[in-house]
Amino acid sequence: MSKKGMNRRQFVKAGLMTAAAAALGPAVLKPTSLWAAESKVKGPIKLGYQTVLSGTLAGYGEFHKMGAIMAMEEINTAGGIAGNKLEIEFRDSTLKAPDAIQNARYFVDSWGADFLAGIDSSGQALALAPVMAELDRVLMVTHAATEKLTEEQVFKNGVKQIFRIVTPTYQDGNAAAFVAKDLPVKTWATINPKYEYGFTCWNMFKETLSALKKDVTFTAESWAPFGTTDFRSHINTIMDAKPEGLYSVEWAGELITMVKQGIQAGLFNQVKHVMFPVGAAMDVLEGLGAEMPDNIWISGRYYFLYPNDKSNNDWVERFHKRWQHYPAYVSEGAYSTMYAFKKAVEAAGSKETKAVVGALEGMTLDSPAGKRVFRKEDHQAMYDVPWGLTVSNPKYPFKIMGKQVMVPAKDCFARPPFEGPGTKPPFKA
Amino acid sequence: MITNKAYMAFGLLLAGLVVLGLAGDRFLLYISMRIMILAIFALGFDILFGRTGLLSFGHGAFYAGGAYGVALCYMHLAKDPLLCLLAGVLLATGLALVIGFFCVRHTEIYFAMLTLAFGMMVFSLIWNLREITGGDDGLVGVGRQAINLGLFKIPLRKESEFYFLVLAFFTGAIWVAHRIRTSPFGLILAGIRENDRRTEFAGVNIRNYRLAAFVISGAMAGLAGGLGVLLESNATPHISHWSHSSDPVLVGLIGGLNTLAGPLVGSLVFVGLKELVMRFTTYWMLFFGVVLLIILLGFRGGVVGTLVQRLAGRREVRS
Repeated sequence: MSKKGMNRRQFVKAGLMTAAAAALGPAVLKPTSLWAAESKVKGPIKLGYQTVLSGTLAGYGEFHKMGAIMAMEEINTAGGIAGNKLEIEFRDSTLKAPDAIQNARYFVDSWGADFLAGIDSSGQALALAPVMAELDRVLMVTHAATEKLTEEQVFKNGVKQIFRIVTPTYQDGNAAAFVAKDLPVKTWATINPKYEYGFTCWNMFKETLSALKKDVTFTAESWAPFGTTDFRSHINTIMDAKPEGLYSVEWAGELITMVKQGIQAGLFNQVKHVMFPVGAAMDVLEGLGAEMPDNIWISGRYYFLYPNDKSNNDWVERFHKRWQHYPAYVSEGAYSTMYAFKKAVEAAGSKETKAVVGALEGMTLDSPAGKRVFRKEDHQAMYDVPWGLTVSNPKYPFKIMGKQVMVPAKDCFARPPFEGPGTKPPFKA
Repeated sequence: MITNKAYMAFGLLLAGLVVLGLAGDRFLLYISMRIMILAIFALGFDILFGRTGLLSFGHGAFYAGGAYGVALCYMHLAKDPLLCLLAGVLLATGLALVIGFFCVRHTEIYFAMLTLAFGMMVFSLIWNLREITGGDDGLVGVGRQAINLGLFKIPLRKESEFYFLVLAFFTGAIWVAHRIRTSPFGLILAGIRENDRRTEFAGVNIRNYRLAAFVISGAMAGLAGGLGVLLESNATPHISHWSHSSDPVLVGLIGGLNTLAGPLVGSLVFVGLKELVMRFTTYWMLFFGVVLLIILLGFRGGVVGTLVQRLAGRREVRS
């Protein structure tokens, strides 16, 4: 044995010391990494995210990605999920159901995803329900709004693998009705998308408002097919009917087009009370900029200045610094999804589907949008999003909410079992 | 000799697909089924496009006919998958008969435009008949019940079980396409493509033959649509959209027109290439388009057509 080098005992000792230091070091330095030493959850946490990244709505997909990537960076810098790195792979959902299914199957069967998230179209979300049951992975829906997903697929058919982190059509239909009941409007009309989302929201709005206020009538409906670029005939139909109020769940580029053409036609001079349930979406606010008329009622699935507390304001600032954009509601949904999975996996001490579903059910999550609770029965996240009147503000190059009205989720979300008396708002106190 | 070689090649293909069905993992089986279903769609389409020379942009309507036929049958009539498939194919055939009756009076661009118009008519019907078709949400939750044969049942629920039903129909579709190609009926179709005036002077009622080709291809599109619904468990309106109708056109152009192997190779390239490109980039459409362009420009006459020409060319040199 040479004197120069280490002998075996010294070598083993040094090795053990190094190993111990490696194991303890980060734990001592950073309490969050305690998991590294004792975590039962193995390997990176892989999450497959699909959203629309092609076509006219590709901008939505980019906003999803911003939120998801930012959360991934923050989580991994702070020690990961239960000590494991979070990995996200993105795929273009193309808004077509067969593509969504192929993506989901690729993520789970080929890439080895532990969790799935994303989905913009309601048709895709519904089509994925039986697939998620077969693949047995949790899917967190971050945009698709159909209430059928949670009411029928999760609650009635028992597809426990699906959760939704953003507000569904209840916010667009029911909450709008609660705001509308206090407006001096007796006749309502709509220009709505000619597909399920538009029909559902208008029906919800009509039913709930009729229950809240006896003397309202609904005088005109104009249905615009998906991809409408010329709204003038629809605007004329509404102006001919001379309603006092206009309700429209047109969204994204189509809402921007409709508002611009409405301004030209003098729509907003004639109809004084206008409600856009998805008008507070960042793409619409930024897209219309100063052109958005004042005193329009807008809402969304998250509004970047609510809640006006430190946690949300800090997040908005971080987001703006990272991406030079203010967060869209899908960004917040994607961001919070990562933290929902983090919290659920760490609470369950496992990334197995059954354990994570158990942890998510009834879980409370502190997120930029405020406190979310995942309702146990239908896996819908309950949280509050305000309605507000548009107003200019020198701090922003677009209109923001001035006067705000809050309709709490517990008052406007339908309640399980979703059938029979007492399941649809308004509820008796 | 050539035909023997061709038979052997198809025999090998089928043997390979059986092995794949027994050994492949769930995702591979799923992708293979998508390729086979698209191939059935394209095989039928080639009878009309490659063989008869009529370019349709409305075959998504018949695909949707089959799909919605299966879904509606499952929801309202019977749950047996074969019965539902029969209902789907019948619906697609009926639809093809009616639409074809009006379309085959014209040829070339007029025919293409008419089929496009009828196809989009079916699309807006499906989109708007919400009570029946579920509107844009589509019909969701079509299950795969076991096929009941009295004494025993064939389960289909798992991918590895359903795969063999798809494979059986895929084989059947190849056989039908092959029979048509080698029959006097197929010869007349080719004659119509090459010179309809002369064929007419030979005493052939070309309109009836065109209609027959149209209906056969529509029925095969319906079969593909029906199998597609059983695979994906839902039917959505976009399958009747013109952008879906253009899939078999592209598949035909990639693979090669008026060949038996063309639709098969084309489907493999179309689905496989897209899946591969999507693994490398989320902005897949650009790269997918570029590769398609290269194939379309580089392999004139499609992959199969080019290979056949190469082989034939070499043989000439040798002889």
